[in-house]
Amino acid sequence: MPLSLSDPTWYPIASSEDLPFRHVYQGQLLGRELAVWRADDGNVNVWENRCLHRGVRLSIGINEGQELKCQYHGWRYANQSAGCTYIPAHPADAPSRRIENRKYPVREAFGLIWSAANDDQPFAPFDGAQGEDWFPLRPMPVDAAPEDVVAGLARLAPDDQPADLLPGMAVRLGAAVFFVQPVDAGRAVIRGLLAGQPHDAMAALRHHNETLTKLRDRLERAAARKPAPEPLQPVFEKVSAELSTMPDIAVPRGNTITVVVKRKWKSAEGVIGFELADRDGRYLPTFQPGAHIDVHLPNGLVRQYSLTNGPGDLNSYVIGVKQESASKGGSKVLVETVREGDVLAISEPRNNFPLRRDATRTVLIAGGIGITPLLSMARFLDKSSLKYELHYFTRQSERLAFSSELDVLHGSIDRHVGLGREAITAKVAEVLGPYQFANHVYICGPGTMLEMVQQTASALGWPDEAIHFEYFQNDKVIDASSAFDVELARSAMTLHVPAGRTILETMREAGLTVPSSCEQGACGTCLTGVIEGEVDHQDVYLNKTEKASNTCIMTCVSRAKGPRLVLDI
Amino acid sequence: MDCPVKPGNDGQQNFGEPMITLYDFELSGNCYKLRLLMNILDVAYGIHPVDFFPGREHKSDWFLRLNPFGQLPVLQDGELTLSDSGAILAYLAKKYDTSGQWFPDDPAVTAEILRWHAVADDITATSSAARLALGYGYNFDIEKSRKGAHRIFRLMDEHLWFGEKSGRDWLCAPSHPTTADIACFPYVMLSEEGGISRQDYPALRRWTDRVRRVPGFVVMSGIFPAGPAKT
Repeated sequence: MPLSLSDPTWYPIASSEDLPFRHVYQGQLLGRELAVWRADDGNVNVWENRCLHRGVRLSIGINEGQELKCQYHGWRYANQSAGCTYIPAHPADAPSRRIENRKYPVREAFGLIWSAANDDQPFAPFDGAQGEDWFPLRPMPVDAAPEDVVAGLARLAPDDQPADLLPGMAVRLGAAVFFVQPVDAGRAVIRGLLAGQPHDAMAALRHHNETLTKLRDRLERAAARKPAPEPLQPVFEKVSAELSTMPDIAVPRGNTITVVVKRKWKSAEGVIGFELADRDGRYLPTFQPGAHIDVHLPNGLVRQYSLTNGPGDLNSYVIGVKQESASKGGSKVLVETVREGDVLAISEPRNNFPLRRDATRTVLIAGGIGITPLLSMARFLDKSSLKYELHYFTRQSERLAFSSELDVLHGSIDRHVGLGREAITAKVAEVLGPYQFANHVYICGPGTMLEMVQQTASALGWPDEAIHFEYFQNDKVIDASSAFDVELARSAMTLHVPAGRTILETMREAGLTVPSSCEQGACGTCLTGVIEGEVDHQDVYLNKTEKASNTCIMTCVSRAKGPRLVLDI
Repeated sequence: MDCPVKPGNDGQQNFGEPMITLYDFELSGNCYKLRLLMNILDVAYGIHPVDFFPGREHKSDWFLRLNPFGQLPVLQDGELTLSDSGAILAYLAKKYDTSGQWFPDDPAVTAEILRWHAVADDITATSSAARLALGYGYNFDIEKSRKGAHRIFRLMDEHLWFGEKSGRDWLCAPSHPTTADIACFPYVMLSEEGGISRQDYPALRRWTDRVRRVPGFVVMSGIFPAGPAKT
C-alpha cells in the first residue's frame, strides 16, 4: 500500500524524552519535515519545519521557552498558536497577529509524541494501550520503505506466537508494541514500547536496541537491492495574500470571543485579577506584549484591559481591574457583579503599545494598575533573556498587585511605595538618566504620571520615539464645539461634522465601517491618515511629534481647526 | 604579516612575551576547534589568515615549510610549531587549562579522549570531505563521504543516547566536556553543508546543544548559537 500524503492516521514522531526544554527536535512524517519543541509550560508544538519568512528550517532556531525564534531574521512564533509575535525589522514593531505558522495536531501519550498529517481523525490510543505503564525503547531509524519495516518486524515473531498486526503500521510482539513512523517513501523509524517497567531498564534497552539494529541492517541490505522509491512530494502552501500584506486601515471591528471567568481573586488592595479562558479549553489568539482586549460588560459598556500574560501563554488571559469607587460603571460592574464561571465576550487582542526587543536598555515604569501591560512586557523580555528594569510606583504596599508574578522574574525590579509627587519625579529622573542610543522607556499609569515621565524624559534628552506610553483613559475635557467638513478621499464622500458629534460617529452614520475601541482618544484603534487640513488633536494616544506632523488623527475625539479636513479613508 | 589580536586583550600586544599565532582559515572546522578551545580557556592568540580557498595557500612553499603535510591548522607558541588539530587541542589543554578538565591526566580518560580524536579525524574524512566536494570544488566521492558520515553519526547517536540514559552528557566518561567533544563538534555541526542531514540523530543533536552552551563558546560561519538553557 503506497503512502498517502493525506493519511489521517496518528503516528508517533518522537519520544517524550527527545524534547528537553529549550531544544528543537527535527522530525518528519509522510514526507513533511517537522520542527518539534516543548515550551517551558510543558506544551509540545509540532510545526512545519519552515519559517514563513524565508523558508529556513525552524529546527535550527532557538527555543526561547515560550516562543521559537528563527535563526535567520529573528521572527518569533508563540507557543501553541504558532502566531508570529515579533518581526525585528518591522518598522512598527507590530506584525499582523494573523501570521501563523503551519502546525500539526499533537498528543503526548505513553512516553511518545504523536502527530498526524491532518485533523481528520481524533486521537485514539492503540488497542490495549490503557491501564498499562509503557516503557519506550530507543527509536531506530531505518532507510527502508515503511511497509517493508512492518513486514520485517512481523518476521521477528517466533513461529508459535505470530505477530499481531495493529492498525496504523503497528506490530504487537508479545509484551512489546512496535510502531513504524512513515518518515517518507523510503524511510521509517521504529518506535517500540514495552508493557510495564523492566526489572533492569538498561539491559532491556540494550537488548532491544541490538535486536532492532540487526533488523535495520537486514532491511537496509534488502532495500539497497531494490530501486529507491520516489520520495513523497508534499505541497508547501503559500501564505495567503491576505496574510502576507498589512491589513487595510478599515478593518471591521473584530469578532468577539466568548470566554469564561476561570478565576477571580484579589491581587492586591483595590486590584482584582480575572483569568479568562476559552469555554472549550482551546487556546486563545496570539497577542504581543502590551496588547489589550475589549471586555463587553453585562451592562453594555465596553472597556479595555491590558493582558498581563507572558509569551506563548494562551491557555487563558489574565487582566487586572482597578476597584474604583468613582468608576463610571465599567470596572465596578466587573468587580461587583461578575463571578467565577460567568461568561463574557471579549475582542481579539490588539496592540497599540508595542515593545521593541532590540533596545540596548529597556526601562518599564508603572504607576498603580498601569503595571498590567508592563508585567506582560517584562515576562517577554525575561523569557528572551533580555535585560530590563521595571519600576513600580504605588501609594501603599498593600496596593502592589501581581507580586508573586513579579517575584519569579529575573530582571531588575524595584518597587517604590508611598512617594510624594516630587519624590516620584526625582526617582524617575534618577532611573532614566541621560538618553543614550537605543534606550527605550515604557510608561503606563495615571495621566498625571505619564505627563510627568514624558516631561522628565524629554528634559533628559530622550526623544519622543524612545518614550512609549499608554493611557488608561483620556482625562482631558473634549471640546466638541467646532463644526467642519470632512472629505473622505478613498470613499469619495464629503460629510459635515456638526458641533457635538464626532468624526467617527458621522462616518458611521454615513455607512462606513470604521474600527474603534475606547472612543475617548486613548487606545489608538481609530487612527486615520490625514491628507489635508489642520487637526485639532484632543487625544492622549499620539505623542507630540506625531501630533505636530499633522499626518494622522484619532477620529473619536479630535476635530478640525479649519473648515475642512481631508482624510485617507 | 597580518596578525590581528584576539578581542579581549584590548588590542594591547605585548611584544616581549611569546605569543600564540594560529594559522587559520575562517571557514575551516579544524581551525575553528582551536579558536573554540582557546576562547573557552581564555587564551589570547593572534591569527595569521591562510587562503585555503580559493588560493590553496596551504600548499604554498612558505606554508609547507611550516607544515610539510600541507594541512591547516598550524599553531605557533613561542618557538614551538605544532600541526594537527587533535594534537594541538591536547597541547593547549595540557598547557593552558588550569582546571585540568579538558584533557585529564587519568590514563583511562586519556585513552578515551584519543579514541574520539581519531573519530574526529574520520568525521573530517567523511562529513568535511562531502562539504569540500559540494562547496569548494574538491573531487571527492560525495556519496561515499556521506555514507561514511552517516555510519559514524549513527554510532555517535547510539553512544550519546545510552550516555543520556546513564547520566553521561559528553562523549567521554567524566561529568564535564573534554577535547573529545571539541574535536568531534565542528564537522558534525557543518554536516548539512555536505548534504548530510542530522534528522535521524536526535541524541547527537541534543549533544550539539550542550556543546553550544559551554561557557566561552564562540560561533563560526554555519554554526549557530543554541540560546540559553532554562533557568
